[in-house]
Amino acid sequence: MLAARAFEPDFLRRLDGLMMQARRTRAPRAGRRIIGRAQGSGIELEDFREYAPGDDLRFLDWNALARLDDLKVRTFRPERQIEITVMVDASASMALPAADDKLGFALTLGAGLAYIAMSENDPVRIAVFSGHGGKARFESTPFFRRRESYGEFHAFFDTVRCGGETRLAAATAHLLGQRRPPGVAIIVSDFLVGPNDYETALGDLLAAHYEVKAVHVMGDRESAVDYPPGSYRVRDCETGVMRDVSFGPREAEACRRRIAAHADALADFCKRRGVMYARAFGASRLDDIVAREFPRLGVIA
Amino acid sequence: MGLLNPANLLYALSLAALVAIYLRARSRPTIEVSSLILFEEAPAPVARSRVLRLDLPFWLEALALAALTLAVAGLYLRAHGGAGGRRTHALVFDLGAAMGARDGDLSRLDEARQAARRIVAEAPIGDSFSVITYALEAGAAQAPATDRAEIGRILGRLKPTDVAASPAALRAALVDARGADTIDLFADRPPPAEVIEDARLAVPPRFHQVGAPAGNLAIVSIDPGVPRATLGRVVVRNFSTHPQPCELQIDAGGRTVFHSGFIVEPRAEMVVPFGPLRAGGVVAARILTADALAADNDRYALAPSIAQTRALVLSPDPGVRDDLARILLAVNPNLIVTTADPNVSNAFDRARGFALAVLHDCGDAGVTAAARLFVFPEPWLSGSKRPPLLPVVGSVAAAEMRRRAGVGELAAPVLLGPARMVELPGWMRATSQGSGAGDRESFPLTAIGRAADGEIGMIAFDVRDHLLLDPDRLDALLATIDTIRRLIAPQDVMIEATGAPVSVPMFARTLLTAPDGAGRMLTPDRWGRVRFRPLLAGVYHLTAGRDSVTVYANYYDAGESDLIAPEFPAAPPPAAPAAAPLTAQFQMRPIGTLLAGLALLVFLLESIVLTRRAARWSARHV
Repeated sequence: MLAARAFEPDFLRRLDGLMMQARRTRAPRAGRRIIGRAQGSGIELEDFREYAPGDDLRFLDWNALARLDDLKVRTFRPERQIEITVMVDASASMALPAADDKLGFALTLGAGLAYIAMSENDPVRIAVFSGHGGKARFESTPFFRRRESYGEFHAFFDTVRCGGETRLAAATAHLLGQRRPPGVAIIVSDFLVGPNDYETALGDLLAAHYEVKAVHVMGDRESAVDYPPGSYRVRDCETGVMRDVSFGPREAEACRRRIAAHADALADFCKRRGVMYARAFGASRLDDIVAREFPRLGVIA
Repeated sequence: MGLLNPANLLYALSLAALVAIYLRARSRPTIEVSSLILFEEAPAPVARSRVLRLDLPFWLEALALAALTLAVAGLYLRAHGGAGGRRTHALVFDLGAAMGARDGDLSRLDEARQAARRIVAEAPIGDSFSVITYALEAGAAQAPATDRAEIGRILGRLKPTDVAASPAALRAALVDARGADTIDLFADRPPPAEVIEDARLAVPPRFHQVGAPAGNLAIVSIDPGVPRATLGRVVVRNFSTHPQPCELQIDAGGRTVFHSGFIVEPRAEMVVPFGPLRAGGVVAARILTADALAADNDRYALAPSIAQTRALVLSPDPGVRDDLARILLAVNPNLIVTTADPNVSNAFDRARGFALAVLHDCGDAGVTAAARLFVFPEPWLSGSKRPPLLPVVGSVAAAEMRRRAGVGELAAPVLLGPARMVELPGWMRATSQGSGAGDRESFPLTAIGRAADGEIGMIAFDVRDHLLLDPDRLDALLATIDTIRRLIAPQDVMIEATGAPVSVPMFARTLLTAPDGAGRMLTPDRWGRVRFRPLLAGVYHLTAGRDSVTVYANYYDAGESDLIAPEFPAAPPPAAPAAAPLTAQFQMRPIGTLLAGLALLVFLLESIVLTRRAARWSARHV
């Protein structure tokens, strides 16, 4: 299975020097509205401001008062941690084409991002989601903070099986229903759903002040649309709907255009809503994806 | 191009089955995809044409099935067999005595030879010819060859034999010629239709009849009579349809004893008396009048010796003693016959030597004889110190005589009395055969041979109750007389029929000189006997050092000697002209193996296609 690569030393060595940059505050009052839970006042100097009555005199800058005779108060970056949830799509569509092993590819990417996020000892968990008969399946690991705990994901990966429908909105609703402090949500999926579904899902997360990152996964053969010419009756693996198609070079090109249009629409939505978006088309390009697409998700060296 | 087994085209239904399978399944394979978002539904016109759009494996399988169907249907190609062709011709020759009959300067075999040479000359270059002969038995004179000069030499070496051509030999010859594209049969009389049918030839033989009806005189038999006692007789037969003059000469003892001319009625026999002879020995009768067939103009017989010799008859039955004594005296009146009961002591002078001892149902202890004839041989008695000369291995309550030397298969089996089955030693040969009544297992009824201490004869059946004098069992009497004659005949002279196997005790490598002067060496077997089969009428000389034996071979066959007999009422069907062109102009070349090989290659190609397709789609099976 491709997911085993996530635990190979060579792969992890490539990720060792990377860290995930989280957007800090977008609050009207800088330094007050932060992402994540505040852990105290902190020690890292952030800014100076005019003294106002009632301010803690301990933060008064006595040197400035002595030299300039001006009352300045020092403000500090507060100590905080960000909960990062990597949500991997485990619907039936992730199992096709079987040769692509999209689920393994997605788990590898998710684990890689989790490994990077652990560089700052942020609590990270990996969850898989799908839908079964109108109910959402959401299974996740506990939060792990240190890279020494990274191996704990391995046992979880072994239990993951594809099945059910892609229910993005239901999965995000389940996440929000846990009422965790807003953190970072990384969604790894093939996004083979209608625009309404992924727009609802991503919009809900943004509305709950989550920082959202989307990783669009497709298989090598799936993205290349490499079907032999002929007439087929294709069956949607999630819905069971059948459709007669006639396939040839022209139809293959049209299919590739539809894939590109679908991906562009998703990318455009993400761009408009401030969601970090990266494409991972083909497991064979894993190294290239780490080098070129991960930076789009805020991964920096 | 044609089909050897058109009925097997039924297997073409497999093609229909293949089409049905593909239309049902392979023309619209169902594949599972991650989402239909990526696929557009096919337009209607495309969807309709999809039913007929079949992929490469379909065409490959259809091709393989078609090739296999044609292979099992026996598809063949017709190719011209012209220059460089591979047509084979079989030239089948009758070498019976009648083929030696002459009409002017040419014999019937010469005519056949000329006809065959014309066929060889007119055949395309590259055709091969085989030469097959038959008379007493079939033989291949020449394996298929294309060398015209060699074929001509082989044809020139063909010689007629003085035996009658047998249907069995003709059947065997036709079976040998079965693989040829054309079969040319050269004979003076049409082959029996049932023989042609039995040969199961793919190509009907082309019959070439040679010779015209011709008159012929033949010596049917000669009875030398008893020297100084009875007249001899020669039977002459005229096969012509008109009276025929005949000049007959009879020689005996180095001088002519009869020479006269007479007229023989058309298609009749004439008995010519002569003698009585003055002494025993070889008697030769000869027709001096020229006729078409010379082989049956000479005949030899052996007159009994006039020297008085003694014979002994031992039997516990007085009736048998009396019958055997009478027969001995009939064969040679000069014999002095003594009869005795073996159970009575001192019934005869045991010290006296006998020329012949006939021992009925008793042993030979104490008898001194140059020749012994065991009649109804006594079984080996337990406790006897000497092993039996003729071991008895069984007995039957009633025997039937079925074959007799010089006659062949009897028209009807002759029912005899009880008989004892003897396991013949290698130095003896059976002269008549029989079996138990209602049984099929054959065993010898009469036999002769030479042991270390003299001539030995054997009659296996019992002759009690005057069996030998019963007119309904004449063949039993004739077999007995023949055995007695052979036993008392001179050891250096033999009278045999042509075609009969001759066994002569020589004990050393022997030079055999045939009547035509040809010589060859014969090697004796473990029993000290040389064997050969005289195929020419006349005198054969066997010489081994100082020993010499003369064998006189007589030929006569009523059917073969009748040169007018072929009325040809049932002429064989001539070669059908409609059927001839197929093999005459074309050769069938079955290509079943080629088609099967093509099918295998196609299957292999299909496997490659399917394997690549499976690898492309990462299917776990083809």
